[in-house]
Amino acid sequence: MSIQIWLGLISGIAFGFVIQRIGASNANKMARAHLMIEGDIPRFMLLAVALSAIGLVGLQASGVGRMLIIPTSLVATGISGILFGIGWGLCGYCPGTTWAAAGEGRMDAVFALLGGLAGTAVFAQVHEILIPLLYAPTNAGQITLADWFGSKPAAAALLVVVFAVCIWGIGKLWARSGHDVTS
Amino acid sequence: MQKNQLTSPYWKWVPASFALAGVILFIFVTFGPPASSSGFVAALKGAIEPLAPAYVEVKQHYAMSGGPGSWVFAFVLGMAIGGFIAGRTFPVQVRDIPEIWEKRFGSSRTKRYVATFASGFIILFASRLAGGCTLGLFISGSTQLAVSGLYFGVLIFAFAMLTARIVYGDIGKEEK
Repeated sequence: MSIQIWLGLISGIAFGFVIQRIGASNANKMARAHLMIEGDIPRFMLLAVALSAIGLVGLQASGVGRMLIIPTSLVATGISGILFGIGWGLCGYCPGTTWAAAGEGRMDAVFALLGGLAGTAVFAQVHEILIPLLYAPTNAGQITLADWFGSKPAAAALLVVVFAVCIWGIGKLWARSGHDVTS
Repeated sequence: MQKNQLTSPYWKWVPASFALAGVILFIFVTFGPPASSSGFVAALKGAIEPLAPAYVEVKQHYAMSGGPGSWVFAFVLGMAIGGFIAGRTFPVQVRDIPEIWEKRFGSSRTKRYVATFASGFIILFASRLAGGCTLGLFISGSTQLAVSGLYFGVLIFAFAMLTARIVYGDIGKEEK
């Protein structure tokens, strides 16, 4: 096996383990996060991104790490975000957590995974129609905050501040953020 | 259901965030931006290719994706293994139907499985249109300060919260 497969496998095992331990592969906890009852999962996601963004600026400065910016399409990214949110709110799984939850042995996640494969197959079939129709016309390209705010460190600092405010807000607004909850 | 507030087996969110950020940065160094919805494409490509090689070759979505021998497929398979290991070493029993869902819709497995199948369908369809999911677009994108990731992130959180309120209604209020 190639080194890339081993790296992918090891990275996936570590990722799957960590998201299970915070409860992200538990649809009950995810629903409670969406209902503003438990704030741990959203705060975990935001802090992990903020830390990664700081780390990545450092890595890039030393010439390490490969970047790949996905373009922003006002319409396609927007419609996708809305549909994705509806699906996520309804079942409590997202593509990554589905694999971890299925591995845990949750049967509902196995069905989410099968549904996901079906959705992927249907999209692949209509890719040639939908991309020119929805994605291309409002594609603004691979824009980043660094393009808007001049420099990468400045943009990363701004992101960290905004995410910190969100994390603080979740701590205030989500009902049980100050406590441990097990179920 | 455990209710003991002192002995939660779940990790605290701050150390867990450091752990995840470590994994994310390891992935940026050894591969590139992590992604999981593209793992579905790779899995499907591997399943379809032997049956209909001509179809896979002409369809852009498969042509631009790796197959089962790719990093993304190894990654999602690893996620399932990671979930398995983590689940086997965890004191909370897994359930096929989440508690809150059962309170709202009863214990019908069929109802829950139909709902998760339909949601999985919508989520992956949307992810493939946007070019990524919670991980591949929101987490990876925002880490790289991409506008696409932040825009997608705001929408998925807002609409998931709205949908959960509609789906769970008063059950959500009682839970607090």
